[in-house]
Amino acid sequence: MSAATPTAGITPYAPRIRARRGLSVGFMVIALLAITASMLMLGALIVEIAVDGAARLFTDGSATVQEVRGETLIDLPTPENMNWLAWAMPVAILLPFLGLRVVRSLIADIPALAERAIGFATTLPVAVFVHILYVRFESAYYIEYAKAIGVDGASGNIFQLFAEASGFQFVRLIVAGLILPLGIIAAGWFWSNRLRRPSLLLPAIATAAWVVYLFLDPFFLSSYPSRLPAQAGLFSAITGTLYMMVITAAVAFPLGVGAAIYLEEYARRNWFSRMIQVNISNLAGVPSIIYGLLGLQVFVRVLEFERSVLAGACTMALLVMPIIIVSAQEALRTVPPSMREAAYAVGATRWQVIRFHVLPYAFGGMLTGNILAMSRAIGETAPLIAIGALTFIAFLADSPTDDFTVMPIQVFNWVTRPQSGFHEIAASGIIVLMLVLLVMNAAAIVMRQRTRTDW
Amino acid sequence: MARNFFTVMRSSAPTRTASPASNQTPSGQVTAPPPNMKQDAAAGVGVHLDPNLEAVRHDFTEEVETALQLRNVSAFYGSFQAIDKMTMPIPRNRVTALIGPSGCGKSTLLRCFNRMNDLIPGARIEGEIEFEGRNLIDPNVDAVEVRRRIGMVFQKPNPFPKSIYENVAFGARINGYSGDMDRLVEDSLRRAALWDEVKDELDKSGLALSGGQQQRLCIARAIAVQPEIILMDEPASALDPVATLKIEDLMRELAEEYTIVVVTHNMQQAGRVSDYTAFLLAGEERVGRLVEFGPTQDIFTNPIDQRTEDYITGRYG
Repeated sequence: MSAATPTAGITPYAPRIRARRGLSVGFMVIALLAITASMLMLGALIVEIAVDGAARLFTDGSATVQEVRGETLIDLPTPENMNWLAWAMPVAILLPFLGLRVVRSLIADIPALAERAIGFATTLPVAVFVHILYVRFESAYYIEYAKAIGVDGASGNIFQLFAEASGFQFVRLIVAGLILPLGIIAAGWFWSNRLRRPSLLLPAIATAAWVVYLFLDPFFLSSYPSRLPAQAGLFSAITGTLYMMVITAAVAFPLGVGAAIYLEEYARRNWFSRMIQVNISNLAGVPSIIYGLLGLQVFVRVLEFERSVLAGACTMALLVMPIIIVSAQEALRTVPPSMREAAYAVGATRWQVIRFHVLPYAFGGMLTGNILAMSRAIGETAPLIAIGALTFIAFLADSPTDDFTVMPIQVFNWVTRPQSGFHEIAASGIIVLMLVLLVMNAAAIVMRQRTRTDW
Repeated sequence: MARNFFTVMRSSAPTRTASPASNQTPSGQVTAPPPNMKQDAAAGVGVHLDPNLEAVRHDFTEEVETALQLRNVSAFYGSFQAIDKMTMPIPRNRVTALIGPSGCGKSTLLRCFNRMNDLIPGARIEGEIEFEGRNLIDPNVDAVEVRRRIGMVFQKPNPFPKSIYENVAFGARINGYSGDMDRLVEDSLRRAALWDEVKDELDKSGLALSGGQQQRLCIARAIAVQPEIILMDEPASALDPVATLKIEDLMRELAEEYTIVVVTHNMQQAGRVSDYTAFLLAGEERVGRLVEFGPTQDIFTNPIDQRTEDYITGRYG
């Protein structure tokens, strides 16, 4: 004991000193304000949507049942009701990120927060999402039920009743003041560690899906075009786009990759291959309407594909081919020559070198290029208009020779209509299109990161 | 390093008469003896292979078979001539070192042996490289078959970004090996002195190994296709001394079964591992020529050509 006494207060190591985070007080105050504001705003948002909005947005509140020529139509909520969301949402989403550093410094001081509880808190958005889904379907049944028992219009749903019974303000405060801060802190905690970051993915996707779902009416995705804006949907356009993209990829990817392999691995470096190379670059810059005219003549008229999915897909394949070839060439060039030499040195033939080494190592890059090319094709309108894709398709294409439409053409058609209702659903259509593009480009980036080989 | 080693050995140890030749050319001497040949060269130490080529060859004291016989081999990259009319044997089951300063065509010559230069646009070879009665350079000879029977290990370790197992098995698989693959992989890794280090993690990527291990993996990969000759292009130049030592030991062991040709910049390494040495040198016009070929012992202790001695003693290069 006595021997230990002199060193009792002095450990061999310096006491742990928490490095001061270089935050000025001003910044901290601003960040705290931002967090508080965003929390309140998000809380208000959720409550608004869940309580008020559920009533308004989800079929029963503002839904007006109309009788048109003996047909019962349900007039869905219009975007005007949701204008306030347009600015509240981005602000509410951005502010927590601005304050993230402070959140991180805060959570560093709260080791007592059990990991499990935090995990639970982050999955809250999932729970909310599921619940809203449930409420939505239930209210849909409710309206049917109300009609069945002869009650005109539904005056509310279970969620609303619950809110009224338990005190609206109270719920709002609980949500804004307790759950959301926890969620944000938890999100920051998860974000602070590279290893934990992936666990944010599910809640993030759920939240995003939830937000999309709030804006988007599933009927919009599952109905055919209509002369009534309230009934018009993107269903045939989405399936047409998918159909066309699958065929486009099936045509363009093998051809483009094959061309790239030929140019990179087989072709001699002479004037001929240089000419091809230059022309591929040129083709990438040709206006898309030119491809449309080419497709009109070659596929629609000469090959007699008519105005079919096949004709559209072939035209699109031509359009994106240069992009695919160039990106595939880039991918092939990233495979170091030493890899080829190594394979040759054990007695591989040229094709074996390509098949077992060059292609597998370059495949991720090729796929990335392909996805980017596809996302270009999805947004192209001009060539399809040139080959005469229809704008009003009230059925699904059964075979590649059927008529078809795609999302941008549908949107184009809605924009050109005089009724304002069509303009609104055109905006919705554009959002859907953009989301699809965003997802595809994100997939391309993720794929590029995952398939990268550090030589 | 090489410079110090040889200079010290030769000039500061007067009691040790390394060779009569070195006594006649003290390191301080400014005026060079007659170009290329030393005065006593004609006194029976060595003979010219071809006086016009100015290359000399020591008498062999041992009986060895010839794995490769080069006759007037020249190599070109487009209009640039890299090596000029080299004639020499590569003895079977021996380690032959190709030494010489940078740009003298060592690597080019090595890559001629397994037709690796075919892959470079504009490269061509003239002359004859006899391998089992056939001329390797003949366009009718299948380069793929040549490369299977004459393996190669490169300067920078280049394992495939696949598992260790796949790295070794690949060559055998594409060449239609029908035996027990597991056994072949184990055998090859054992012979490359790598088995004990990787036997529990054969599924790990070859790129996850250390540099020295990667190079031994590359050697295992070359062995797995059961070649007759293994070419090594500065196999240890990217490795640390310990890993280098392992590779050198490995070369000595492998020489019992294989013919090994190694290009090296490291003179001590050439002295340690090789049985025979060829000294190559590029002249003013940057065309590589063979200067001297013979048993390593003789080349290092008793070089015939003045330029060889200058290079070995570190006077240039």
